[in-house]
Order: sequence, then structure tokens, then C-alpha cells
Amino acid sequence: MTSWKERLKDEIPLEMTKLIDTYEAQMSLRRQGKMDEKVFAEARLRKGVYGQRYDNGQRHDGIRAQALAYPSGDIVKGTDTLWDAPGMQRIKIPYGGLSARQLETLSELADEYADGILHITTRQDIQLHYVHIDDTPDLMRRLAAVGITTQEACGNSVRNITACSLAGVCHDEAFDVSPYADAMTQFLLAHDDVQDFGRKFKVAFSGCAGHACGLVHMHDLGLLAQTREAAGELQKGFTVFVGGGLGTVPHQAKILAEFVAPEDLLPLTQAIARVFARLGEKKNRNRARLKFLVAKLGIDEFRGLVEAELESLPQDPRHTAYLDDDADLAYAPAKAGLRLNGAPLPTGFADWYRSNVYRQAQPGYSVVTLHSPLGDFTAQQGFALADIARKYVGDNIRLTVEQNIVLRWVADADLPALCRDLRKIGLGGAHAGTIVDITTCPGTDTCKLGIASSRGLTAELRARLIERINLLPDAVRELKIKVSGCFNSCGQHHVADIGFFGNSRRSGNHKLPHFQVVLGGQWQQNAGSYGLAVGAVPAKAVPEALAALTERYVAERAKDENFQRWVKRLGRKEIKTMLKPFMQLPTFEENADFFSDWGDSRVYTIDDIGVGECAGEVVSLFSMEISKAESTHFEALLALDDGDYRRADERAYRAMLLAARALVRTKFLDVGDDSDRIVNEFRQRFYDTELVYDRFAKGKFARYLFKRHTQAPTRLDEDYAHQIIDETQLFIDNIHSAEQRINGVIVG
Amino acid sequence: MTTVPKRLAVKLSLARAPQLQPAHIVPIFQRWIQQRTVPGMLIDVIDYKHVPNGPGVLLIADEADYGWDLVGGRAGLRYIRKRALPEDLSAALRLCCAGALAAAQALEAEAPDDIAFDYHALEVSYLDRLRYPNEAQAAAAAQALLATALQEIFGAKPRLQRLHDDPRYLLAFRCVAGRSLADSMPAPALAG
Repeated sequence: MTSWKERLKDEIPLEMTKLIDTYEAQMSLRRQGKMDEKVFAEARLRKGVYGQRYDNGQRHDGIRAQALAYPSGDIVKGTDTLWDAPGMQRIKIPYGGLSARQLETLSELADEYADGILHITTRQDIQLHYVHIDDTPDLMRRLAAVGITTQEACGNSVRNITACSLAGVCHDEAFDVSPYADAMTQFLLAHDDVQDFGRKFKVAFSGCAGHACGLVHMHDLGLLAQTREAAGELQKGFTVFVGGGLGTVPHQAKILAEFVAPEDLLPLTQAIARVFARLGEKKNRNRARLKFLVAKLGIDEFRGLVEAELESLPQDPRHTAYLDDDADLAYAPAKAGLRLNGAPLPTGFADWYRSNVYRQAQPGYSVVTLHSPLGDFTAQQGFALADIARKYVGDNIRLTVEQNIVLRWVADADLPALCRDLRKIGLGGAHAGTIVDITTCPGTDTCKLGIASSRGLTAELRARLIERINLLPDAVRELKIKVSGCFNSCGQHHVADIGFFGNSRRSGNHKLPHFQVVLGGQWQQNAGSYGLAVGAVPAKAVPEALAALTERYVAERAKDENFQRWVKRLGRKEIKTMLKPFMQLPTFEENADFFSDWGDSRVYTIDDIGVGECAGEVVSLFSMEISKAESTHFEALLALDDGDYRRADERAYRAMLLAARALVRTKFLDVGDDSDRIVNEFRQRFYDTELVYDRFAKGKFARYLFKRHTQAPTRLDEDYAHQIIDETQLFIDNIHSAEQRINGVIVG
Repeated sequence: MTTVPKRLAVKLSLARAPQLQPAHIVPIFQRWIQQRTVPGMLIDVIDYKHVPNGPGVLLIADEADYGWDLVGGRAGLRYIRKRALPEDLSAALRLCCAGALAAAQALEAEAPDDIAFDYHALEVSYLDRLRYPNEAQAAAAAQALLATALQEIFGAKPRLQRLHDDPRYLLAFRCVAGRSLADSMPAPALAG
């Protein structure tokens, strides 16, 4: 067996094969300098392939900046992003749902291509770090063979669709939102209408209004399950929220529609996507999220535009097909539900049960939360957990937005044995969902944007709090702490009781890592309100500042007064006064320890900070589409080299169709993928009007497409393959020139 | 099977129960970057000590990572060669042994506590499930090749034991030799 591509060719869906092959061809083109670096960067990001800190070839070692001379030299995979520099692979796990087999594959990839660790994100994704870009096509193939994609895990598109990890088993939900999250994932994946956004687009489903669930208020599109009675029947539907988001300036989402029936959900989403693609900001990425468009237009005008878009939306059987597919998406329990039966309990079981076990709506079953510190677990834990899942719950595994794992449909009678088994693999710790279960983004460990060490701070706080957890009053145990390494909110610090985000301050000639303290955010009510920034504290003073805050809260809170209300009552001014002693900056000579970050012995610097890729590259739709034609043309060349002339012809013809489609879509988004339609639209819009005419060759290059479209080759030999590949290259060049003449610029 | 795996790792375990806390390793590895103590293009240090029996603390480099590794509950120094492996398995293994030896000796010299590695035993793992699946037949073939390659290093065939027979785990062997690796190899010299 020579390659994963060969070995898995019968196990990967054709569409996934094409997407991965195209990406691999784009990698080859980029390495040869035949693909624009920005276009490649966006194509790469849309495959979930991110850059990482120090990929600009600079790292400050605490004494001096060291140049990192990677073997591939100056070849870049994006602006200032060197080819060989280790990167991060983000892997979409829709609504966090995993099978045991998928968990095993993810674990295999972690110890073969990464550093042996699987990291759970706040969007229910898995991330692998320190991955070489050359390994990513095989990594994607191995994922695709078990039904996982990285398509659109990053970049300016629809990110992983999240949902409450209790969906389907919760006491308070209107109904199980999982099938709808699944249907929307299938519908939007690689959909034409989500390829031309100026920024990413995040979607979440929630089963109820009261709990944190899907956090619909902080999403571009939030879907809240509702039921209503009509004509004596209970109808399912969704309240649709738009324009929420965290980031530097958080926005609460607005209600777009009070009640949308399931069959209307996907067309409505498509209409929203079209309005966002058409009117959303494209040049200034800092204003390009949907929240800015909704704020600019106002929700009423935005609603009117969406309704008008709905009117003109072409009929599409996929609007309901995926819902039909998911009608039988059942999560069957692996074992009969039996209540706890008096069997001996392991030591500490009561603590674990209190914090980590949720009794399902279904009698005799529970959900068990596995607390993974900092969102990390090892490949070996992954294998062992897959065995445990098969033993107790089958494929009922989900990742959570709090960076944990849950096992659903655990028979109550199995809880003591499961607790013991989880402890053996280091995943049986108590205190899930408590103050020690801190959410954190990667921060300066691996993120190009990180300013302070969110993971270092989290590890330190966790270690200190866990020592005292049994001494803490319930009011403190239940607090949520969330930490981001910068102002971009990946750690969701705005919706925590106590949030921190990294920044820096100067003392003398040195910088110190700091964390801005954000208090009183609301995790419940679907991220119901955002916290207040009260001041920046040096990173090394944060543990003491936290202790002072919580001690005063316990001492002064009124009966049943929660943290949000206490913060509001105390007021920002008083809290700042309380924190002021912790904000004092020592000189380097007085306390050098303050000038290093948590978990880092280097003297602090951010001189080697990079340019973040979270936003993706702002690249025109045409640039993305024509790059697919170019990579398909490259595949034709490879086929020619292999002597496979039939494939060379097929790929060359396909490349011409893709190039023509790229140009057509600049004027007519709904051209679809039917070859006759593409050619007809191209002919009418660009050939008959002479818009594609070359100054000297006139319509010659366009006629290469018309000829191949109407006449299959009569001979398939090397000469013919050479000829059609050359013609295809000329045709693609012609399309590039035409687009520049018609639309002005390529890369926006 | 003579193909070199995509990645190859050698781990040297401590001779006695570890006195060294993982927290002590981070500054040592960061100092190695500053002073370029071990060969390679050293990039970054990542701390996973919060994960039980995990990769511990890693010094990430372009060609190879150096890890204070805690997998399997056995603390040790693991050298993971990721790139630029020689085309010959013996040469690749020699390179990995030299890398592990250099880092282990540097750690012995710098660690705040008295630590010592067992240079008579090593773990070799093949990070390449395509070419080296952890299956009985493939494992037997790999074991024979490994024995020959190690004989060239140690002067005599070591005792080999396959670490896992679960095909999900990497193919890996524990190797015990009659002679110390430190005595069997010249002063460590790594190809970059």
C-alpha cells in the first residue's frame, strides 16, 4: 500500500475526495509559486489549516529574537506564514457528536501528525497542533473515511454548527435540536451561497431559553427551539436570532423571526447568507461580521431584505431533504436504563455524582461529564475512552462548548463502574462545571494573536482552586471563569461570571503580561448578558485578585444574590478600588517574576507576535472559484504525466467548466453545477457580448470550451491530452483577463 | 519491509522513580532554545503536565521534537524524528538514538535534582500506521529488522518486546541491551 489516498479510495465519499484532491493540487501550485499566496491562504483556512505562533520565522527566546530558518526557505502558505512552520488543524465536529470509531481516528491522527494531544474548542471542534501542512491532505482523507470533514472549519465561511450537548436528553428543552443542527450542517457545507462572506459566520442551536445551552445570543445566527399549539396540534419551530457575537465589541443578537417552522429553516438561512454575502463588509475585516451589518441596517430593514431574498430564492429539494433524512436520526441507548441498585460506590463518588452527572429526561439514564483540563486529552485516553464508550453508551459521545466530553445514555446502574473506569484513564475527576473547570483559548501557547498566556493562567488558577475546592462555599464553587489570551474572545470571557483577557502594560523599559478583568457576564439564558471590564491586573497578581473578589462576594452578598447582581450592586468604581492594590506595577528590579508570564520562564515580550488568521483572508469569490479551476488543471497535468489520458481529458474539461462558472458567478450566483447550463450562461453573458474576447485572438479561447463541451474526444492519446491541457491553460488565462477587464480587481 | 517510517521515536526512561517535576522542565527546555544546547531548529516549548500520563513537556523543533514524556506512566526523554529521516532504517534509528542520548545527557547535567537514565533500555515507536501497522505479521517483520539495526548499535542483539498488541496503538518495542547506549555510540552528533 503506497499511500493513504490509495488505501482509502473506496471509503471516502466522492465529493470529499474531490475537495481534498483540489486542496492538494492547490498546495502543489502554491509551492511552485503558481497560486497567489492570499488566495491559497483562504483556500487553506477553509480546510481548517491554520497558522500558528512563530510561523513568521521569528521567535523571541527571552534574550533575543531568533530567526527560524525553515528548510523550504521563503515559500509561504499565506502572508508572512512560512510553509514549513508547524500549524494547527481544526476539525469540525457538528454539534459535538462523535462515534467511538471517530474518536479513535482522531486519536490516531493526534499521535501520528501532531503532538499527541487532542484539544477541544469552545465551538465543539477538535484541534491538533504542531501539524506540518504537507501532512494535512492525508489527515483529511483519514478523517473523511470515518465521516468527518475539516471543510470550512476556518476562513470566511460557516464554522462548526454548535448545539447544546444535552439536546435530546434534557428536562427543559422544547425538543431535540440535534437533527436540525445536522441538517443545517449538511445543507450549508460547501454551499455556493456561503463562499463569499467577508468574515466567518457562526450558527448555534439551543433547546431551551433558560440555560446556557447553545448560547444563541452570541451567534451570527441563533436558533432557539419553541413549540406552539395550532389547530389543536403541537408544532415545532424556532425563534431565529441574528447579529450576535463576542469579539472585541460584543453584540447581543436580535430576533429576526419569532417562530419559523422546521421546513422553512434552511431557506431562511440561505436567504440570510445571501444578504450577508451581498451587503456585508468585505474590505475592513474588523467590521465584516454579520453583527455590524445588522447594527448598521437595523433589524427591521435587515428582516425586510431577508424576506425579499426569500421571495426570489430558487426552489431547492435540499431545503427539506436533509430534514427527511434526519427524521430517524435516533440516539439509541446501548443498554437498558436501570437505576442505581445499591452496588458498592467508589470513594468520592458522591462528589463526582454531584458535579459530573446529570439525570436525563429518560428515566434510568444519566449524562456523565468528563472534565478535560484546559480542553486537552491524549491519544491514549482517546483510545481508552472509545472502549469505555462502547462498553457503556455506544456512540453517544459529545464534546461541549466548555471544552469537556459527555457520555450520554449511561444506565444509572453503571455509574459506579463507569466512574472507576474513567478514573483509570485520568478522566474521572470531579468538579466539572465548577469554578475549577475553567474555559481557555490557546493564547500565547500557539495562537498568533495571543498577548498573554491564557493557558498558563488557567493551569495556575486551576491548581490553586482545586486544592481548596472542598472549602469553597457553593456560591463560589458555581462561578464560571473563562480566559482569553487577547481581546478576541475565543475563551468567551464576556459571558463568564469572572472573565479575563490578555493585554500588556509597561513598567520602566519592560512590558508585563496583564489580564483585563471582566465581571458579571451571564452564561445562563443562552449567554444572556455580557460582563463589564473593570481594569487590568498583572498576570502574576491575578490569583490574589481573584481570591479577594470571591472572598468579598461571599462576605457581602445578600441572601440568594448571585454574582451578576452583586457586581451590579457594587458598581464598577467600587470594584476597581478593590482591585487597585493588585494593579500596582513593580519595577523589574523589585520583582522580576512579574515580567514573565505563567508557565514561561522567558522575560515577557510580544515582539514576535504574528498576524492572526482567525479572520481569514478577504478574497473575492472569483479568486476562490478560479483557483479551483487552476488546481483541476494541475490534476490534468498530473494525469498526463501518469499516462492516464482519459483522466487528463476529463480534468481539463472540468477545469474549463469551473473557470467559466467562476466568471458566470460574478454576475449570476445561481448558475449551479450543470455543465449545459454553465456553458449556456457563459455563452450568452460573456461570449455573445464579446466580453471575453481577447484583443487579438477574439473569441478563440472561449471556443475551446464550446468544442470540448459538444464533442467528446475521438482519440485519447498523449498528443490529444497535451493539446486540451494547453487549451485549458489558455482558456483559464482568458477568463482571468476578462474578469480583470470587467470587474477591475481580483483580490479584494 | 525496509521502508523508513514517516516518523520514528526513541525514548529513554529514568533509571529510578522520577524526582524531577515536569514544571522544572519548561525553563530547561527554554534555556536549550536560548543556548542551542541540542541540535536542530528549536522552535517552542509546550507544557502538557496537566494531562495525566501524557506527552508532558515538549520542545518542538523542525526536524525532531524532544519530550519529557510521561506516556504509559514511565517518565523519560523521548526524541521524535519528524523530518529528514535517512532512507536507511539503521541510519534512521542511529540518528534517533543519538538524539535521545544527547538530550538525556544534557538533561542529566542540568536538572536540579539528581536524575539518571537507564541507557540499557529504550522504546522505539513507529509513527506511521500506513507502513508500520501494529498487526502481528507486520510487527514480526519490523521486529526482525529492528533487532538487526540495534545489533549494529549495541554490538549484540537486544531483547525486544512489543509494547501493545492493540492495533490502534503505534507499533512500538521495548528494547533491552546488554550494553549501555552511552557506551555504544560515539559522542552524540546529530544531523541537523
